[in-house]
Amino acid sequence: MSTDRFASIQRKTIIYFIVIGCFALFGFRLFQMQIIEHESYSEKAANNAIKGIELTPLRGVFYDRNMNVVVSNVPAYTLRITPAEYDTSLNKYLEAVLGEEPGYINKILYGNRLFSKYVPIRIKRGIDFKVVSWLEENEEHLPGVDYIVEMQRGYPAGIRGSHMFGYTKEISPALLEKHKEYYKPGDYIGYSGIEKAYEKFLRGKKGYEYVLVDSRRREIGRFKNGAEDVPSVKGDDLVLTIDSDVQRAAEEALKGFRGAAVAIEPKTGEILALASAPDFDLNEFSYVTSKDYLQKLYNDPDKPFFNRATMAANPPGSTFKPMEAICALNTGTITTATTFTCRGGQDFYGRYFKCDAVHGTLNVIHGIEHSCNVFFYNLIYKIGMTKWDEYAKKFGFGQITHIDIGDESKGFIPTPEYYQKLYGPDWPKSIMASLGIGQGEVNVTPIQLAQYVSLIANDGVTYTPHLVRGYLTTDTKKLVPFSYKKIDLGIDSSVFNIVKEGMFLVVNGSGTAVSIKSKDIQIAGKTGTAQNPHGKNHALFIGFAPFDNPKIAVAVFVENVGFGATYAAPIAKKMIEAYLLKDKIKKENNSKVSDVKDKLIGESLAN
Amino acid sequence: MRIDYKLKDKFDLGLLIPVAILFCIGLLAIYSSTLNNPHASGNFHKQLIWGIGSFIIFFVVYSVPTNTFKTVAVPTYLISLLFLMVVLVIGKRISGQKSWLGLEGLGFQPSELAKLGTVLIMSAFLSRKTTDIDTFKDIFIALAIGFIPVILIMLEPDLGTSFVFFGLILAILFWKGISLFGLFVVLSPALLAVASLFGTLYFIGGLIFVIISLILFKKDIFFSGSILALNLAAGFFTNYVYRALSLHQQTRIRSFINPSADPLGAGYNAIQAKVAIGSGGLLGKGFLAGSQTQLQFIPEQWTDFIYCVIGEEFGFIGTIITLGLFLYLFIRLLRLATSAKDEFLSLTLIGILSIYFIHFIINVGMVIGIMPVIGLPLPFVSYGGSSLLLNMIMLGIAANVYRTRKNYT
Repeated sequence: MSTDRFASIQRKTIIYFIVIGCFALFGFRLFQMQIIEHESYSEKAANNAIKGIELTPLRGVFYDRNMNVVVSNVPAYTLRITPAEYDTSLNKYLEAVLGEEPGYINKILYGNRLFSKYVPIRIKRGIDFKVVSWLEENEEHLPGVDYIVEMQRGYPAGIRGSHMFGYTKEISPALLEKHKEYYKPGDYIGYSGIEKAYEKFLRGKKGYEYVLVDSRRREIGRFKNGAEDVPSVKGDDLVLTIDSDVQRAAEEALKGFRGAAVAIEPKTGEILALASAPDFDLNEFSYVTSKDYLQKLYNDPDKPFFNRATMAANPPGSTFKPMEAICALNTGTITTATTFTCRGGQDFYGRYFKCDAVHGTLNVIHGIEHSCNVFFYNLIYKIGMTKWDEYAKKFGFGQITHIDIGDESKGFIPTPEYYQKLYGPDWPKSIMASLGIGQGEVNVTPIQLAQYVSLIANDGVTYTPHLVRGYLTTDTKKLVPFSYKKIDLGIDSSVFNIVKEGMFLVVNGSGTAVSIKSKDIQIAGKTGTAQNPHGKNHALFIGFAPFDNPKIAVAVFVENVGFGATYAAPIAKKMIEAYLLKDKIKKENNSKVSDVKDKLIGESLAN
Repeated sequence: MRIDYKLKDKFDLGLLIPVAILFCIGLLAIYSSTLNNPHASGNFHKQLIWGIGSFIIFFVVYSVPTNTFKTVAVPTYLISLLFLMVVLVIGKRISGQKSWLGLEGLGFQPSELAKLGTVLIMSAFLSRKTTDIDTFKDIFIALAIGFIPVILIMLEPDLGTSFVFFGLILAILFWKGISLFGLFVVLSPALLAVASLFGTLYFIGGLIFVIISLILFKKDIFFSGSILALNLAAGFFTNYVYRALSLHQQTRIRSFINPSADPLGAGYNAIQAKVAIGSGGLLGKGFLAGSQTQLQFIPEQWTDFIYCVIGEEFGFIGTIITLGLFLYLFIRLLRLATSAKDEFLSLTLIGILSIYFIHFIINVGMVIGIMPVIGLPLPFVSYGGSSLLLNMIMLGIAANVYRTRKNYT
């Protein structure tokens, strides 16, 4: 039975409008999505599918002053696992080969469980070459396991330079917050020494590679065949002022001691060597530092992390005497004709001060030669506290030297005001006698002493001590030098000549350091022994050579050993010889071949 | 009676040509979306073979005597019910649903056949001389015939196909001439069912609407009361069914109601689909050049999300042409249904139209983000053999009706 409503025009029209209505709605919606909101959808699609991968640039390498590579980049192997392809039943084999405890791999995989299963995870950095060959051999049985080559720091010149070179480390969250513009989590950054101070030159420019990823973040190809990629730019190579031979000599000589040695080229302020002992092995820091090693360093009572060359402030002892002599001579307080008589000691302001011997009557030259305390007790009272203070500061004591790696201690030069504060307006003037021989409250650092002896050696003119001469441009490999502040004391060379004569006699006359007299080089210097209430005295030596035309100025400081002449002076001599008798020493040791090899390896990696 | 033997009169190119073009667009999109997927690399060829086979079947169906369809109505329906029961027992589980039968290596979905069987049997029943659409007895019988397969399909569970059945049952009843009140009785429980999914407030709102309508229809109290009871039952039953639904279907429904709640889960496909279409722009990114498609941001894009491929690679031009072809096909079917003088055939054509149409709006509506993510293929375009075959059989019926339309005048 059929009603008149069956297939009626009315009903047909209703269906017709439903159909047309849906199409109109869909058409409008498509227009909205594909034409009006097209831009925003395109952006989303692009973000979906294209992933920028940061390319870490090669870090700049370090050359020494003779263009030997001293800090380089060496390839290191990193084992990775792609979880989607990996079978955890392989854990026990891998852990055995890597020398890790059971559960090591699972722990890392668990830590990364929230990332895509198709993105490889670094399991261990710096794996042995033996492990790499094992991986190669068993490749087919190890699905999802691979290795990549990453760069780490290498030290091919056989010098440690622990404090000077410094190390790089994964950036800390606090630092990252400060330098968000360049760094990302996981980036390495210079943490100490030159690595830190010259980070901006060394780090280079990051590159970017654009890859297509699928919905599981798996890489499936390159975006536009790499047309949009930006290659990374290697960091600038630094040319250091260091002479590897001098540095090596200093490090070897300091071995077993606590102390520091600094050598400077007086005319330029270029640091030829800067060593602090004990030190540590930078190789251990080159990628991941093992916790054991770090713990060992932190717990070491000798504080290997402490850079004694710039941070250790101690009394200078007799090494301060040339400064006082210059002060007295330059202010006209004395001349070479002025003499004092040493009877083995003298009373000052009610206190008796000893000398090491009975030196008799001597002038300033022999006062320095014999390091006569009585002479300098008298001298400081003659020049007065104010002038003494003024000249100590003139020579850079009591303030930082502005060495380019930073981390310096100021030391301390006491002033009359300081004693007034401490003891009242009538402070005991007997204190000054101690200051006259570099004992008591006065504190100086080895780098300050090195700058001071440079000033003496070069007649009052030098430059701010520095470790980096300049950088090599990436394209032309030309040296772009950095400029450093000139220091000119404005003191006549005749004054220096008198003091230098005394220092010459210290080594070559009948002075305190005749033990280091050399037939090949004329060395001048001054020993010092700083009294130490906590143990044995600290040994000090400052010196320069050759006497006529100083090319190297050295300051050595050794903690708790005894006399400067016995312990510090021989170290200085070794450094001076390493620098001035380079060729002779090279001929003697037939180690040149291996050096050349190191240099070649270093250079090939540097490029 | 004079019979014109011109091709134009015998064969409606207006039906076949848009479908052939849609099939070709589908092939391109299948090719593009499976190009980088090693698990689906054979799909293009499979679809091509199914396509050829389906076109042959189409001509077979086109050629058979028109009264065959009425004859096969009951057997088709019964066989499809049998298959639906069998599939529940031994069916293959694909993405949480038991809806596939393995037939000699080719997957076959009994629910496809059930759609046709239901259309045929409902049309046959409603076109009987004795059936009176104004009696609730006959409305109830028609509904019962229609809903038996729905219950079996919901047990699989296959939400999308259930929607198709709702649509076709409604369309056939409507075309047959169900009264406004009858329509209300049929529709209001469905309305309340949907409202109950959105929450108590909506459910109460729907209930108030039903009560006001009942007052306006001015039927007797007892009758109105039983309809209200039916409505309440529908609402609570839906809630019960919702809880019985598999978890992934629950989350799909939830993510439609609030898509931003779970952007990486059930909402993920919907978002990626929109990104694919929107980023296509006016002209598209070019064949095989759509990043969303080629990088497989949308899983199984050659099936339910195939419209994204068209949108991304062929742009607004591509999506509008596709829309146009469907619109042309639907209008053509509607005209044919109007012009068919035999009631059974006319009802069958409306049933076929509604099947196509529901697939179309749910599929396209889903990918452009105005419908929930419900898995239904786009007719003639999506990859899938049994779906294509059944769609072509139904198109064959339409072409057959066109061929013999003058026999009834």
